Amino acid sequence: MASGMGGIRTAGDMVARMEFSKNMKIGKAKEYVAKKLGLSSLEIADEHIMRELRDDLKIGVVTGVPNAPRGIAAKMNIERLIDTKINSCEIFREVTKKR
Amino acid sequence: MADNKKALYDAVIAYKVPGIQEAVANAQKAGMSAGEIIDAMGDGMTEVGILFERGKLFLPHVLSAAQGMKNAMVTLGPELLASGDASTKRASVVMGTVEGDVHDIGKSICSTMLQCAGFDVHDLGRDVLKAAFIKEIKEGCTMCGMSALMTTTMTVQRDVIEILKTEGMRKKVIVMVGGAPVTQAYADKIGADIYGENASETTQKAKAITN
Amino acid sequence: MSKFYTRMGDGKRVMLTKEQIVNDIQAGFADAADMAGVADLTANEIEQLFEIISDKNRIVGVEPGNEVVVSYDIGQLDFTGDNGNSGNGIDVGRRESALLHERALGADTFELAHADYSIKPVKPIIANEMQTMEEIQSEIIIPYFYGAMPNSGLYYAPDGPYGNPADLMREFKIEEAMQAAELTADHLARDIEYVAPKLVSAGADGFNFDTTASAGDADFVGTLKGVEALRKECPNTYILLGMAGESVMGIHGSIEYKGKVVAGTYPHQQVKLAEQAGANVFGPVVNTNTSKSLAWNLARSVAFVKECVKVANIPCHVNMGMGVGGIPMWETAPNDAVTRCNKAMVEIAKVDGV
Repeated sequence: MASGMGGIRTAGDMVARMEFSKNMKIGKAKEYVAKKLGLSSLEIADEHIMRELRDDLKIGVVTGVPNAPRGIAAKMNIERLIDTKINSCEIFREVTKKR
Repeated sequence: MADNKKALYDAVIAYKVPGIQEAVANAQKAGMSAGEIIDAMGDGMTEVGILFERGKLFLPHVLSAAQGMKNAMVTLGPELLASGDASTKRASVVMGTVEGDVHDIGKSICSTMLQCAGFDVHDLGRDVLKAAFIKEIKEGCTMCGMSALMTTTMTVQRDVIEILKTEGMRKKVIVMVGGAPVTQAYADKIGADIYGENASETTQKAKAITN
Repeated sequence: MSKFYTRMGDGKRVMLTKEQIVNDIQAGFADAADMAGVADLTANEIEQLFEIISDKNRIVGVEPGNEVVVSYDIGQLDFTGDNGNSGNGIDVGRRESALLHERALGADTFELAHADYSIKPVKPIIANEMQTMEEIQSEIIIPYFYGAMPNSGLYYAPDGPYGNPADLMREFKIEEAMQAAELTADHLARDIEYVAPKLVSAGADGFNFDTTASAGDADFVGTLKGVEALRKECPNTYILLGMAGESVMGIHGSIEYKGKVVAGTYPHQQVKLAEQAGANVFGPVVNTNTSKSLAWNLARSVAFVKECVKVANIPCHVNMGMGVGGIPMWETAPNDAVTRCNKAMVEIAKVDGV
């Protein structure tokens, strides 16, 4: 609470993905995600802005909303949004591809 | 003489067994007494302890220096006996990580440091039953060192102290406690004699209390 | 002279003057500088640290815009564990725990763990762990790791096949002790190579090596070798390498990784080894001295971590919790101290996450 981004309350999950997948330091990771979302680095940690945006982008919301994508579905949308590959989505595609 | 003292001190810090043996032989040739040689090496070991605490020397280095000293004691033994200057162990210490706890690296380092400082260490290892500490004390250990790395097991340190009180042995034994969750305040609360933040501090306090 | 309400390293409340706090900040920093040769904190940083410590509010936080990633470790054990690992003793399932961390606690990343939390015991239960990983990955959104401690102590007698260096060294069998440590490092690396890729194949976003080097320098070398193997086999997996303490204990004393003796290395040197092995994020740790004040401990921690962040080419997530990162060694770590330490780590040490 004192220093964290707040996960899917904001864009913390996506910033974390950029740190881990591209070794981006916090400033760059936030800038990268902000640019992809069309926001500023300050705004991507703002619960008021991110709650509606996450709903609109179908990337998962923190509260229980029927029909809001969860898990793999939300992560596949995140992959496209921030241009990254997520391991569980890659495996899902692999096991569901037509043979 | 001063050169030989410094050579002994330096040889111990350099922690190579042959180097220590050579420095001892040179000191003997120069006429230094066994007691003086041991004192000079002891100063070196104190410095080794400081360098260990500061992360400049590591456990094998400390042990190697201690081995050099141990060998020197064998060489000097006859002279010590003849002079009536034979040093005895500072005290017998039972050491162990308390029952229910298997974290023993810190305790083992502490045992080693105490051994290097001249204590007769009976290290019972880890997950040591309360009764095992008591048994060693009954058999002659006058110091008891207990390590606990978990908040769930640190209470055993208090239990052992309580058993010592019940059995009327508390005043005969110096109790030392340590381990990550243990603090000076906790040591005071349970009535331990020594709290050690780390191995070096414990050894220094143990030496001070037995001097 | 006015006094400020602060803490000791054991969590006890104390009142100190500005002069006392600033003196402790300087002394804590000096200790880090003496041990690891890290650079000076500036006068501005000392003042900033004093302001954070002496803030009249019970809870403090970073300024908006300064938020960082919070990567949770220890998996569900923070709910299920006993007080030994600050757990709540609630027998909640791993799926529920993961989703609670995502949806109730605002975690930026989380992980699956098993009760022992060491790598070696994962081998016989690897299929269980893979299935649970698959199940939770289908529901969770945040990056979800598998987390475990390298804990190479489990490879030494009486738990493992190799002689215990502590026992061997007490008998002055120094060469044998060193050899046992080397064998353990290789065994640990092999186990990492066995366990970690299987969990990645089950959908894990990555692997968190938690409390690395807890059993000393060979533990660190084994982990680095394991990380290197994992990186080779899974080039895109996320790897977080977190440490056990600020300095690597020299149980072996001279074991090397890529030509560098790892014993006695400090966070700013450890991170370079983690980078070479292929970690994406490094978790520096600085231990708390219970006999010193919060000011002393926090200044010392900030000094170590600031240097680490400065030299790192990868992000650094500092370990913050009971007895680390300046936070008092107390089971229910006081919130005033926890939030102050977090703010200082983010705004002075400039960490990328906690």
